[in-house]
Amino acid sequence: MSLSSDGFSVSQLPIGEVKNGCSILLTGEDTDALKSVFSRLTAADENERSVVLATNAGGRSIQRSLNDARRNAGSRASILTAEGPGRGEDVSSIDDIGDLTQVGMQFSTLVATSQQSTARFRSGIFLCSTIASEVHDTRSVFRFLNSNFLTELRRGDGIGVVAIDRSADLETNVDSMISGMETSFKARIDVEKTGYNEAKLDISGISGSDGTVDIEL
Amino acid sequence: MSRTVLCVNTEERISEVSDAINAEENLSPIETTSVNEAVETINDDSQSIVGVVTSYELSDGSGMDVIQAVRERIPQTPVVLFTDVSPAEIDTASFEELLVEYLNRDLPDADDRLGFIMNDIIDHSAQVSFLAPDNEDERLEALAEYDIDELPIEESFQRITDLIAAHFDIAVAFVGLIEKDEENFLACTGADWDSLTREDTMCTHSMLQEDVMVVEDIANDKRFNKNEQLENLGIVSYAGANMTSSDGHVIGQVCALDHEARSYSIEEKHQLEQYADTVMEILELRQSVLEGRRPEVAQ
Repeated sequence: MSLSSDGFSVSQLPIGEVKNGCSILLTGEDTDALKSVFSRLTAADENERSVVLATNAGGRSIQRSLNDARRNAGSRASILTAEGPGRGEDVSSIDDIGDLTQVGMQFSTLVATSQQSTARFRSGIFLCSTIASEVHDTRSVFRFLNSNFLTELRRGDGIGVVAIDRSADLETNVDSMISGMETSFKARIDVEKTGYNEAKLDISGISGSDGTVDIEL
Repeated sequence: MSRTVLCVNTEERISEVSDAINAEENLSPIETTSVNEAVETINDDSQSIVGVVTSYELSDGSGMDVIQAVRERIPQTPVVLFTDVSPAEIDTASFEELLVEYLNRDLPDADDRLGFIMNDIIDHSAQVSFLAPDNEDERLEALAEYDIDELPIEESFQRITDLIAAHFDIAVAFVGLIEKDEENFLACTGADWDSLTREDTMCTHSMLQEDVMVVEDIANDKRFNKNEQLENLGIVSYAGANMTSSDGHVIGQVCALDHEARSYSIEEKHQLEQYADTVMEILELRQSVLEGRRPEVAQ
């Protein structure tokens, strides 16, 4: 049932089209810079839907950020948030981000529901590092990514972005963990904030876009 | 080869689920209608269950009890929760890190999708608690190129693990190959291990790292400090170097373990890599000799 399709264009970033099925590991130490790049990657174009699991931002905040990245993208997003109330028909909330069984089922349901209106989707987790810090056993995060995130990309017509704040206290060797995760994802983007409104992206695994580029936040 | 799938549902609905599984040529259902019956089947090794589909509401408990039994007994086995109860109504408070594929039975094509999903999650080991490299299929093919059972490598590798243990003054050294679902130990000094379920191993994390992975004290690393298997084996510190095939695939690990916390200098990490390279050289040479001895097939 896996579909082949055109790539996904990226708004406001010097990155070419991202191939269908691509999983992107997005890393950095500045949460605002990460959020800005995350939103540009996951903002849905027309005939697409975004499905975002937000651990550190409310639904409206994510919608605004998506709108900043692409016109009206916030209205094409389904958001599951652990921050703030689930206001609006496209924003639902979860009480406990550490309850990955519940989070996984709700996230998969959102992806399935979004595919009923349009097959093409961009899924994202902002921030996976928060989930890793909340769970009892880090292996559960890997099981969650396998069961409820990477599986959807393999079967459907979409791309996915997992953001990790490297500065978070994850009670593990973060560099070792990220280097392991990197080999499981098809692409990696590292964000380094270089100025008040500037950042440098180190990109690998996205055909035609690999290398280092400077961007405005 | 037929794949055995455990189906758990109420007496009224079990046949519908069983029929949906049976509709797939390579799937073979086993029917159970209660948590107790399901748990007995899960604990029965002779059944060789490779997938589970359960409803949420059962006469003597819930589908979450079934999933918990799967995670405890056959943790890498994928499970589908097939129910018309919405996620928000499912009580997961006591089952926060079980993880499962949720398939809403109210979807118009749910029965048709069930068989496809079951095959997909079995094919891709889709619910394991470790991340596999993106090129896992090619890696496993590279590993299968070696006729491990036919190669006289055991004594050579045993000598090397003896040397590693003595050189680093550690409790355990081993050479392990990382298969799809488990790590098989070809030689081991200081312990008597045959194999470990892959998600219980540290090597499945180490193999994803280009350089030597060192964990000085497992108690301080959340990836490993809740792993009962490691605790039972008494492992406290770990260093693992990649066994890399000539075509660049990591097929196994050469490891140094100790029952005490310890660090490794840059020089010591390099030495462990050299041991791993030596192991690979022996493996490649033995394989070449074996292939050279095989009679050519007449054209």
